[in-house]
Amino acid sequence: MTTTDLSTPTSGPAVFFDGRTSARQDVRVTLGPSGLQMTDDAGRILADWHYDEIDELNAPANVLRLGRRHDPVLARLEVFDAPFAHAIDLRAESVDRTGAIHRRQRLHVVGWTILATLALVAVSYWGIPTIADRLAPAIPLTVERRMGEAVNMQVRSQLDTRNAGAGFDCGVNEQPGRAALEKMIKRLEGAAGLGLPLRASVVRRPEANAIALPGGQIYVFQGLIEKADNPDEVAGVIAHEIGHVAHRDNTKGMLQGAGLSFLFGMLLGDFVGGGAVVYAAKTVLQSSYSREAETAADRYGAELMRKVHGDPRALATMLDKIGGATEPGMKILLDHPETKARVVAINRIAPDGPTIPFLDAPEWAALKRICAG
Amino acid sequence: MTVEASETAGTAGVRFLGARKAYWWLLVRGAVLLMFTLGIYRFWLTTDVRRFLWANTEIDGESLEYNGTAVELLIGFLAAAAILIPVYAGFFLAALDIGTLGEVSGMVGVALLGLAGQYAIYRARRYRLTRTVFRGLRFHQTGSAGVYAVQAILWWALTAVSIGLAYPFQVASLERYKMRHTFYGDLPGRFAGAGWRLFLRGLPLWLLLIAPLALAIGAFFAMVDWVALANALSVESDDVMARIEQSNPELIGAFGFAILMVITSIALALLLFPAYRAIMLRWWLSGLRFGGIELVSRLRTRRVYGAYLRFLGLALLFSVVLAFGSIPVLFVVGVLTGGQDTSIAAEAGAALVLLGGYVTAVLGYSTLYRATVGYALWQLSMESLQLSDLTALDHVTAQGQPSSALGEGLADALRVSGY
Repeated sequence: MTTTDLSTPTSGPAVFFDGRTSARQDVRVTLGPSGLQMTDDAGRILADWHYDEIDELNAPANVLRLGRRHDPVLARLEVFDAPFAHAIDLRAESVDRTGAIHRRQRLHVVGWTILATLALVAVSYWGIPTIADRLAPAIPLTVERRMGEAVNMQVRSQLDTRNAGAGFDCGVNEQPGRAALEKMIKRLEGAAGLGLPLRASVVRRPEANAIALPGGQIYVFQGLIEKADNPDEVAGVIAHEIGHVAHRDNTKGMLQGAGLSFLFGMLLGDFVGGGAVVYAAKTVLQSSYSREAETAADRYGAELMRKVHGDPRALATMLDKIGGATEPGMKILLDHPETKARVVAINRIAPDGPTIPFLDAPEWAALKRICAG
Repeated sequence: MTVEASETAGTAGVRFLGARKAYWWLLVRGAVLLMFTLGIYRFWLTTDVRRFLWANTEIDGESLEYNGTAVELLIGFLAAAAILIPVYAGFFLAALDIGTLGEVSGMVGVALLGLAGQYAIYRARRYRLTRTVFRGLRFHQTGSAGVYAVQAILWWALTAVSIGLAYPFQVASLERYKMRHTFYGDLPGRFAGAGWRLFLRGLPLWLLLIAPLALAIGAFFAMVDWVALANALSVESDDVMARIEQSNPELIGAFGFAILMVITSIALALLLFPAYRAIMLRWWLSGLRFGGIELVSRLRTRRVYGAYLRFLGLALLFSVVLAFGSIPVLFVVGVLTGGQDTSIAAEAGAALVLLGGYVTAVLGYSTLYRATVGYALWQLSMESLQLSDLTALDHVTAQGQPSSALGEGLADALRVSGY
C-alpha cells in the first residue's frame, strides 16, 4: 500500500459491469484502507475488490478500466473522473496512470528480445555446424545412399545439358581407361577405409572439377582429366572428394540447411523485408560452413595421398592450375576458401618418403583417352 | 436487481477516439525493433496495435477492450512451430523418395499447407474474438476450423476456375459460416450480406480489368496464322525465331499489343484498388448482425481514395529521404570494400550496412502504409457505422471461454496472419 494523500478524493463515481450480464450500472466507489467497494444508488454493495488483486486494463487514454486479476468473470470498473482515477492509482500498486510500469516492462521486453536474437544468431554461426557434425554420423548409411540416389538423378539431369543420357558417362567403350580409373580409386579407397563402397566415373563436362554425392558417388569431369599433367593430380582431386565422402559433408550440408531454415525462416525473419535478411544470412552462413568443409577435405585428401605414397602436393598443383587467377566477387559468398590459402595449407603436408606412381605411362595415356569413345 | 443506468438509444454510431500521433509512434518504434530483433518483436507489436485499435473504438459510449498478451502469441507460435517442424521434416524425407511417394508429396504438401492456412485463419479469429471484451463480456466463436478450412479451399478452387467471378459468393458464404458461429456473450451473430449484391457491385471493376486481357487474347487469335506457325515450329532448325517471324509477320505486333494490354490491366487494377476496398468494406460491414442489432455502413469511396493518396504522398517524400540517406551508406560501403585486399570482416560489415539500408526502406514503406491506409480504413469503417436497436445490448449474458493462441501461432508460422 502506498501512502495516501489526504487531499485526493476517497470516493467517486464509476461505471460497473458485473461480468455476468452486459448491463451498465452507475456506481459509487469508496476507497477503503485495503480495497475498493462499489455500491449502487440504493446503497447495496455490488462488489469488494482488494487493491492487490486489481489489474489496469486496455482502455482509451481518458478512462481507467479495472478488473480483477485471474478472475474468469470479467467484471469491469470504469473510472472517467481523472482526480478519482489518480486517487486509485495512489492506492493500488499495479495501477499506474503515468505509464512508468508499462515503460519499464517494455524495456525488459526490448532487452530480452534483442538478447534472444543475438543468441539465435550465435547458434546459427557456431551451433548449427557443431550439431550437424555430431548428428551426421548418427544417420545410417542406408539413408545416405537413398538420398544419394535421389540427388544423383537431379545432378545428372542438371549436368547433362546435352541430354546424352547414358552417353554422358565416359569410358563405356574405353575399357583400358576405365581400368586405369578403377586402379586409382582402389588404391585410394583401400587406404581410406570408408564404410561404403565408392562409385566413380568420368563424365563429359568441360570444367576442371569433380564432385562427390551422398552415398559415395564421385563424378570426375572430363575437363579435369584433360588439364591434369600426371596421374597424381587426378588422384589428389579424387582424394579430396573422398574426404567429402568420409566426412559425410553432403549429409552435414543437408542438416545445416535444415537447421538454418528453422532458425532463419521459421524463428527469425518474419517481418516485411525479412526475406532478404533470411536469404543473405543463409547464403553467407552456408558459404562459411562450406569453406570449412573444403579446408577439411583438402587436409584429408593430402593426408590420404601421403598414406598411399602418392604426392600430397599434386592437389595443390592442380588447384593452382584451375584457380590460377583470383576469383572475382565477395569472399563471404565464396563456398571455397581462396586458392592461395588452400595451396599453402596443402603444401605443408610433405610426402612420406619416395612416391609410387599411380599409373604407368600406358595406363595414364588410357585414362587421358577415356572420353574419346 | 440491475439498475438501468443509461437509456440506450434506438440507434447509435461508433466513434473512433484514436490519436494518430500515438499510433505513428507505436508503429515506428515497432518497425525499428522488428529490424533489430529480426522479427521476434512482432508479437508485441501486433498486441500493441490491437490494444490501440480496440480501446479507441467506442460503441454506444463504451470502448472495446483487447486483453490478449504478446506472451500468449509467442507461446502459440512456438507450439505451432513444434507441430510444423515434424511435418516439414516428413515432407522433406518424402521428397527424397524416388517413387510415386516422392512425386505426389510436393502436391500433397501444398494442398495440406493451404488447408492448414485456412484452419489457422479460423482459429486465429477465435483467439481474437475471445480476447475482445465489451461491457464486461467476451466475444466467442464456435464452429469447426476443419470444416471451415475445407469449405474455404473448395471456394478458392471455384474462384480460381471462374477467374474471380465466384469470389463474391465465396466471401458471402465463408462470412456466413464465421458469423453464424460468432457470439457476443449469448447474443448470436449472423451475416446478412448477399453474394449477388457484391457480385453486381464488383462486376464493373472485374470487366474493366478483364476487358484488356480479353482484347489481347482476341487479337492474338485473329492475327496469328496458326497453320503457318505450326509448320514453322515443326521444322527442326536452330533459327526457329526467324522462321516464326517469316510465317507470321504480324506476330510481333500481336505480342506488343498483348503486353500493352497487360500493362493497362495492371494500371487499372492499381487505380481501382481503393474503390474495391471501399465496396468490400461497405458490403461486409452492412451485413453484420448481432441478435436484433443491425449494422449499416456509409463508407465513402472518396475518403478511401484520400487515404491511399496520403500514403502515396508520404511514400514519395520517404523516397526522397531514402535517396539522400543512401549517399552516406554507399560511402561507408565503398570505404569498407574499396581496398585491394578486403578482409572478410569488412565485407560482412559492408553487407550488413547494405542489408540494413534495404530493410529500413522496405519496413519504412510498410510502416507508412499501415499508418496511413491501415489506420484510415479502420477509422473510416468505424465512423461509417450506424447500429440499430441497441436495447438488445443491455440484456446480454456472459458465455464462452477464452481460447488458446495456437491458431494465431499457426497463422503466423504459415504466414497467413491478419490484424
